[in-house]
Amino acid sequence: MITPAALKPTLSLALQLARRDLRNRYLGSFSGGAWALLQPLVQLAVYAFVFGYVFRQRLPGADAPGYVPFLVVAMWPWTAFAEALSRATTAIQDNASLLGKVALPRAALVLAPVLASFAIHGVGFIGLLLVMLVIGTGISPAGLLLMLPALALLFLFALGLALLLAALQVFVRDIAPALPQMLMLWMFLSPVFYGRYVMPEGVRSWFDFNPMTGFVEYLRFALLDMPMPGLRAVFCSVLAVALALAAGVFAFRRLQRHFEDFL
Amino acid sequence: MSAPLVQATGLGKSYPRVFRRSDRLRALLALLAGKTSGESTSVLSGIELEVQRGQSLGLIGDNGAGKSTLLKLLTGVLTPSQGQVRVNGRIGALLELGAGFHPEYSGRDNIAMAAALQGFSAEELAARQDEIVAFADIGHYIDEPVKHYSSGMVVRLGFAIIAATRPDLLITDEVLAVGDESFQKKCIRWMEDYLAGGGTLILVSHSMYHIQKLCRQALWLRQGRMQAQGDVFEVTQAYLAYHERKSADTQGTARDLDTLRGQEFHVRAVRVNGEEAETLPALEQGAALRIEATIASRDGRVPVVNVGIVRADGTPVYGVSSDMDGVQPAPLADGDYRIVLHFGELPLLPGSYTVRVHPLDSEGMRLFDTVERSLTVKGRSSESGLVRLAHVWEHAAPLSRIRGE
Repeated sequence: MITPAALKPTLSLALQLARRDLRNRYLGSFSGGAWALLQPLVQLAVYAFVFGYVFRQRLPGADAPGYVPFLVVAMWPWTAFAEALSRATTAIQDNASLLGKVALPRAALVLAPVLASFAIHGVGFIGLLLVMLVIGTGISPAGLLLMLPALALLFLFALGLALLLAALQVFVRDIAPALPQMLMLWMFLSPVFYGRYVMPEGVRSWFDFNPMTGFVEYLRFALLDMPMPGLRAVFCSVLAVALALAAGVFAFRRLQRHFEDFL
Repeated sequence: MSAPLVQATGLGKSYPRVFRRSDRLRALLALLAGKTSGESTSVLSGIELEVQRGQSLGLIGDNGAGKSTLLKLLTGVLTPSQGQVRVNGRIGALLELGAGFHPEYSGRDNIAMAAALQGFSAEELAARQDEIVAFADIGHYIDEPVKHYSSGMVVRLGFAIIAATRPDLLITDEVLAVGDESFQKKCIRWMEDYLAGGGTLILVSHSMYHIQKLCRQALWLRQGRMQAQGDVFEVTQAYLAYHERKSADTQGTARDLDTLRGQEFHVRAVRVNGEEAETLPALEQGAALRIEATIASRDGRVPVVNVGIVRADGTPVYGVSSDMDGVQPAPLADGDYRIVLHFGELPLLPGSYTVRVHPLDSEGMRLFDTVERSLTVKGRSSESGLVRLAHVWEHAAPLSRIRGE
């Protein structure tokens, strides 16, 4: 992660940590791994009921897909992203005792929860898409391949931010408690539950500057044949990924030597 | 000589002073800008260290002298504030208890994790898992969460893992103190084999016995600085002498002479090889030892004099009383009694020992006083035990292979 030579041990350690995390996350629960799939499904049902039925979220256009597929393609990647961030932010702090006893590539501790979150929700996402494909909800099969670059970029986006936040959290402990609120705000500011066309004309173009817009709209374009996001939105997303990675790697590199002093 | 396995130059560590909440933020901004984090407290400075492959170094010093910090710097857990460390090899380190075990996971899971931390592949781990479990020898606990372990079991598991990784450099911090007798012996035996096989060891211990047994070199840290470095016997002896002075300063003299004078007998003086100091210059193995005891007698009765030699950890080596050999101290002109015990060729193996002199009443029943003198025996002998017993090999051919094969 940090230097090319250290990449391999970092990666293999992160994989091991992620595997253990996944295996143990649901170890004590009655239903085991089923929770991993059940929980987002329940969440989806709640959102579909609240927004699709109670608030009657409408999608304009005759060829518009149903609300559930519309929600699924945006919400699953968002959940992976948000969970990766919230778990990774405290990764260094939580492993303080390990860091004090064993010399290890520290970035692996951050990489692991990001990997685990994307793995578990990625599997759930693909499973759900396949189910929707089989029952004929208008998922385009080619979209399953088209969406992969977006998911890869989203992973890098999460990793960059995670490295930055985890490093800052060691010094300033305010980040972890503030994060859930920030993520909630970000989710509602992004077109996850709605399309930007429900917004007043004047603010629609502002959505381009939210990096999440590009991701969400691209996924809907790939999987649901909805309109392609504008060039500016895509550019903002890609730029945000690059900036997040650069800032994350820079801050982590600068600060990681001093983690032990501040933990 | 090839490049040293471990080399530290001008090594130092200081911790930032963080008191107020704003200090953390200021430190963060300074570090991000590539500066140092401001005010700091130095815990270790000016360490110059070189360990060659196959050497064994003992680190000694009081609590808080910086021993653990130095180990952490060598292993890379901490980054130095000044100077640098170079290590040309794979380190196996057991710092503090637990070595990073996760309390919720079973012993087996933690073995897998530790193997990943050491950079081992799954196959290498599988090959060694049985060996680790056998060495740790904690029975069915291996499948229970580590939080149910006793501290001794945690150390057993930790040491077993490190032993299985066969590192170029083994670093252990006070590990032996927690294990039980049989496990300590197992660890020491393993370390001796490891050293005989060309391994390199850096050991922290408060047991001078362990240090002397396992290490050829020693480094004494005092208040974050190097106080002495060199041959293990010289350094440990200087360290022990410093401790004796320290306890003498804080407690006053351990022997209360006023009370003793009221008793029937007390020790007036003890000279060992002509020296009256509490700590003697180191003795060569096989040198002569002459213990001269002068006993004051209140009522003019003749005392029995008992002389004992114990190893620094308290194990008795030899004890003898004058009456056992059918002699008694001869009177001096001033009413005291004096006797001299002479060992022509002291058969003690290298290590630290204490000589004790006690006067007993004329019947050899009641013990009145104790005077101790510490004694270090130097030597390169790798025989084990306490003393060299006279021996001859028979039906033996000259050695053709190198020892340690």
